[in-house]
Amino acid sequence: MLEWVALGDRAIRFARPVGISARAIVGVVRAWPGVVDVVVARQDIAAYFDREPALDAGRLASAIAALGSLPDAAEPVRDVELRVVYDGPDLDDVARATGLAVTEVQRLHASATYVVDTIGFAPGFAYLTGLDARLHLRRRATPRPRVPAGSLAIADAFTAVYPFDSPGGWHLIGRVIDTRMFDEHGALLQLGDRVRFVP
Amino acid sequence: MTLVVVRAAGLCTVQDLGRRGHMHEAVPPGGALVPELLVNANRAAGNHAGAPAVEVLGQLVVRATVNLVVASSEPRVLRAGEEMTVTSEPLRSAYLAIRGGIAAPRVLDGHGTLLCAGLGTPLRAGDALAAGDALDEFAPAPEPFAPAEVVHVLPGPDLDAFEAGALDQLTSAAYRVLPSSDRVGTRLAGPVLARRADYREVSRPMVRGALEVPRDGQPIVLGPEHPTTGGYPILAVIASAELGRFHAIRLGGAVRFAVASASR
Repeated sequence: MLEWVALGDRAIRFARPVGISARAIVGVVRAWPGVVDVVVARQDIAAYFDREPALDAGRLASAIAALGSLPDAAEPVRDVELRVVYDGPDLDDVARATGLAVTEVQRLHASATYVVDTIGFAPGFAYLTGLDARLHLRRRATPRPRVPAGSLAIADAFTAVYPFDSPGGWHLIGRVIDTRMFDEHGALLQLGDRVRFVP
Repeated sequence: MTLVVVRAAGLCTVQDLGRRGHMHEAVPPGGALVPELLVNANRAAGNHAGAPAVEVLGQLVVRATVNLVVASSEPRVLRAGEEMTVTSEPLRSAYLAIRGGIAAPRVLDGHGTLLCAGLGTPLRAGDALAAGDALDEFAPAPEPFAPAEVVHVLPGPDLDAFEAGALDQLTSAAYRVLPSSDRVGTRLAGPVLARRADYREVSRPMVRGALEVPRDGQPIVLGPEHPTTGGYPILAVIASAELGRFHAIRLGGAVRFAVASASR
């Protein structure tokens, strides 16, 4: 199996090591010679260079292999609490599809602690893992053309908050209050953050 | 202020050479669609190469409120009260630099408008633009520039998502640049790039210049405001040195692709 593949002449893509802190990986990869950016996706990582990758193929392969035994990031994991109201337009649909009472959907969602697994789709859109398996649902058959910023949503094994008004196919179960998910300082939620929703 | 927007048709935004270091929070690089033309406008105005300038996708009319030097491709003195029109035709984009660069706040390590991140807004009539202090008295002269006719691509990385022969299809005939293209992606119409029916989409890291291919087989070339992750497989990626010349092709124009030789 290839250790990495070229993503054009300024980026490479490789498999995301299992069980290693995404935050630690970003820190290490960004320190590789010539790397200016890193994207962590569910199964893959991409490193972006400001020139042709400066590391030769062999050194890249060993640098990637070393990520598999990386210790956790030095700084402690951040805990973030988000105030929410569970009044989303899909709450009844979610209750029906899961066979749970609406209050039980709310209770299950609010009682879990989530972790930012990846950030993608839109600036600051954090895919949170840790959703109770009873709430795992496929996306809506028809996406909405516009989901309001701050909407709290679930789909598949994830929960997320939409940082901006955007199209979206997730089930809307509530909204975040008193918080902007993305502003001029960047994304509120960062890779590895632990997140709780407080009704 | 030094310039007032009289009329902005299409999309006119302040841009520079983009942001670095924020893709891990899903902030794409952004920046000028055709960096070479932004650099040329800045050089003609006597600015640092990457000073903020106005990107015009359509047409922009500005009026000077003081005497000043501006440049699109050549420097020009604009007297107070005088108007100037900048039109992207015959290319897809044009740039207007003010001597000193445009004063724009630095947010997340860049000055450019990034609509997907809510940073900045499109210019509208009445907006004022002020000059900054990005002068470079040693600015070199603008360099010759022409849009691409043939664009070289590096194959992959998702070749296994396509039927055999998809790369041959890509290089078999010209593609047309569709008017629905924007700074997120350039939509192309041409030979169908057939995907394997059993390919399962999974969200993966994306890169500017990637030819991502939805089920209909018509490629989309990712632009400065592309999502950092996406589910469509990538058949090939445009050589980075040719991406600006690709993005300079006007809407409705044509492009041919060729596979870059391994020694490039």
